[in-house]
Amino acid sequence: MSAKILTFTLNGETTKVMVEPSDMLVDVLRDKLNLIGVKKGCGQGECGACTVIMNGEAVTSCIVPAMKAEGAVVETVEGIGGPGKYHPLQESFMDLGAIQCGFCTPGMIMSAKALLDQNEQPTREEIREAISGNICRCTGYVKIEEAVSAAAKQIKEGK
Amino acid sequence: MKKYNVVGHSVRRLDAAEKATGTAMFSTDFTLPGMLYGKVLRSPYAHAKIVNIDTTEAEKLPGVKAVTTYRNTPREIFNTSATMTFTVPALKPVLDQYIFDNVVRYVGDEVAAVAAVSEEIAEEALQLIKVEYEELPTVFDPLEAMKPEAPVIHADCGEGKNIPGEIIKIPVGDLKKGFEECDVIIEKRFLLPIVKQVQMETQAAVAQVGVDGKITVWSTTQTPHPTRMIIAKIFGVPNSKIRVLNPPYVGGGFGVRIGLSAKAEPIAVALAMQAGKPVKIVYSRKEDFIASDTRHGGYVTVKLGAKKDGTFHALDLRAALNGGAYCSFSTETPGVLGAMGLSVYRIPNQSYFGHSVYTNTTPAGAMRGFGNPQAMFPIESVVDMLAEELGMDPLELRLKNIMKVGDPWCLPYPCNSTGLAECIEKGAKSIGWERRGRLNQPGAKKLRGIGVGVGTHCSNSWPFCVDYDNAIVTVQQDGSIHLASGVPDIGTGTSTALPQLAAEVLGVKLEEVSLTFGDTLSTPFDIGSHASRTCYAAGTAVVAAAKDARKQLLEYAGDFLKVSPERLEIKDSLIYITGQELVGDCAGTGVCQSGEERKSVTLQELAYHAHLRNKQFIGVGRIVPENAPPWHAHFAEVEVDTETGQVKVIKVVAAHDVGKAINPIIVEGQIEGGVLQGVGYAVTEEIRYDAKGRQLHNSLHKYMLLTAEDVPEIEAILIEANEPSGPFGAKGVGEAGLVPTAGAISNAVYNATGLRFYDIPLTEEKVFKALKGDGPATY
Ligand code: FES
Ligand code: FES
Repeated sequence: MSAKILTFTLNGETTKVMVEPSDMLVDVLRDKLNLIGVKKGCGQGECGACTVIMNGEAVTSCIVPAMKAEGAVVETVEGIGGPGKYHPLQESFMDLGAIQCGFCTPGMIMSAKALLDQNEQPTREEIREAISGNICRCTGYVKIEEAVSAAAKQIKEGK
Repeated sequence: MKKYNVVGHSVRRLDAAEKATGTAMFSTDFTLPGMLYGKVLRSPYAHAKIVNIDTTEAEKLPGVKAVTTYRNTPREIFNTSATMTFTVPALKPVLDQYIFDNVVRYVGDEVAAVAAVSEEIAEEALQLIKVEYEELPTVFDPLEAMKPEAPVIHADCGEGKNIPGEIIKIPVGDLKKGFEECDVIIEKRFLLPIVKQVQMETQAAVAQVGVDGKITVWSTTQTPHPTRMIIAKIFGVPNSKIRVLNPPYVGGGFGVRIGLSAKAEPIAVALAMQAGKPVKIVYSRKEDFIASDTRHGGYVTVKLGAKKDGTFHALDLRAALNGGAYCSFSTETPGVLGAMGLSVYRIPNQSYFGHSVYTNTTPAGAMRGFGNPQAMFPIESVVDMLAEELGMDPLELRLKNIMKVGDPWCLPYPCNSTGLAECIEKGAKSIGWERRGRLNQPGAKKLRGIGVGVGTHCSNSWPFCVDYDNAIVTVQQDGSIHLASGVPDIGTGTSTALPQLAAEVLGVKLEEVSLTFGDTLSTPFDIGSHASRTCYAAGTAVVAAAKDARKQLLEYAGDFLKVSPERLEIKDSLIYITGQELVGDCAGTGVCQSGEERKSVTLQELAYHAHLRNKQFIGVGRIVPENAPPWHAHFAEVEVDTETGQVKVIKVVAAHDVGKAINPIIVEGQIEGGVLQGVGYAVTEEIRYDAKGRQLHNSLHKYMLLTAEDVPEIEAILIEANEPSGPFGAKGVGEAGLVPTAGAISNAVYNATGLRFYDIPLTEEKVFKALKGDGPATY
């Protein structure tokens, strides 16, 4: 196999990028598409920092071969909201002290978003399970869990 | 309690938006045009001589731009930790590392490095370097390494075989006589595990060397200014030609990069010099595990004696820690272990004797708590044993003996404040201490227990280490405030708390203040972020700088408003005459007529008025911090499954005397994160080595970190026993959450099962074995 053009939908835009068969999705997103919000903490699928949403599921992009994203719909933290139109998860993470060093934050938010996209009223256990693949060494997860449940409420009430 | 406008409020972190949107820049994200990628060849042996090294094939590989070994890099000795820049005379810093040496002393030690146009090519080139090793004898246990027959790891050890630096001795009173006068004495030796910081961003650096020889390094360091000094020494370049900065965010630290980020910075600089291009080095997670500092494991012995009524009378504390292959913080860590271990309780006769020992394991250095957790798990275990021996309630025994304000202690600064008694009382209430002993039904397979652990810590490292801060507050021409402080924000909220302090002093809204931090070029010298010091010590400098600027503003405003400056106050950027009705005043409306009598003036108008007259207000803060003890009591409730040995931590109540919480939600977050690291220390985390000196737990998968699914209920209780020496009464908080947790959990396990453990972590396997008849191991 040789390099080819990968075509996929990235944060709502059709994107074409040249990839090698050995490229992992995380490196294509970070190095070729400059999405530094996709963090890399281990490169082995063990920390969750590189989590993105692919076709509705949270995946650790460091163990997804880039070519697997052909035709896929991929969302990263850069695509979910920003000033003036933050995603409720971004708001609750900012307001409830769920962010410290911030290195785990984008992946954590994407894992939580994948959950909330499918489950509007997650239980505490479901929240914990959804983010159990995302390591945070700073917060002890207390305020992260609170932020995810607050965002769930916010989303439900907003509807 | 005094109410403030900005201080004491849980305002949203100023870095939150960047971090929540993925735009926050970290070293691992940083790139430069033409940048190369560096990779490091590491030793597969725990101890060996490099007999020959041949890099010709690697150099020939297309895309390779530089190959460095001990042969073509400076032969300048250093210490990767900042200790080499802040050890206080007459002590001398231990220098025992080169960028590369011709002897390797642990598995993972640096042998060579390559810079190439891609990471893949750099990796491929590493495979082409041929190294011939001659294996040397190895030793992995600190007690073994002190024996005469043990291999020499470093030759110049004045205090004993393989002992780096000085042995720390702290004598108080008359120990021998003290023990003779005791009614009850308990003595036990404990074994502490080697654990890892596992900050989420691995060690990383990007180095650029200009054609004029100037060096710029973006890196993950917790101490940009001292790191610059280390790089200057290694490469023989003046400090003034080097810039070290964070870009500006750092993905956690927990002590692992006080000084260099392992060797990421000097290797990147050496490669960049040779290649003539910028070079980026990012450690893999495995490299981070095996080749950046761990916490010290080792042996700690506690001998504690008391009178019949429970009055502590003598304490002998001894430590022999595993320092690993290079010194790093191996003299300071046992120092803090002793200094903190001796300072929790009022005991007239005490002695501490402690040091590290070189072994052929990964170097041990700073990790959150810095020796203090290694002191407090053993001490708090023995205090509980003594309580049982005396037939006293463990809380009552502690309350009877804890340090009070003004008590004499071994520390060279006074105990000005303690809220420990209040921590104990509030924590006990919250955990339901009175339920203790009534938690289990007869015959239950899962046994519950409650335990306590208490402790103290420091708020910076003075006078043990060099420790000073500078800050500059500049009032801009539009009245907004610029603040410069050399400390980084490693996640602890510095970049929010420092502006809060400045805003409060200057009487402006937080939005008016912007901070430059973590950069040696644009900030004055600051020792950095470690020792729970940033808010307390750098904060003291910020308050001093803000007060200086405020004084200048009020003097100028006094002339402007024709009143004495003492009568002026500032609120929301408005300077006004106190006690005068402001209604109808033109300030801020932009319609003031010249000659009109004024009762107030906005900072904006005043700063511009000054600007038109060639003047700017610049406040400077230059301070040497005092020091102050934070206090804490942790209560743990655990459930031990007697069929499997699993210890489940149900709840931890962490009551902390923080002096004053500048931003309470940030303070709570510090405590919660510290608690969970403490739970990991107590129950799951450990790095072991095989017989060849290879780490058995060198990945996130193998190293048993707790996840969101394992988190106990954590309740942080803030006690504010105003510390007179701290900014607005604050003291250190960053490390304290980890310190007493293991003791509390081990005591809870004893309360549940009657098994007293002398080592951690309390893994399922270890507890199961102890339950099934072997009993806990002794050391
Ligand atoms: S970087 Fe992908 S899981 Fe850690
Ligand atoms: S905030 Fe630092 S790892 Fe989660």
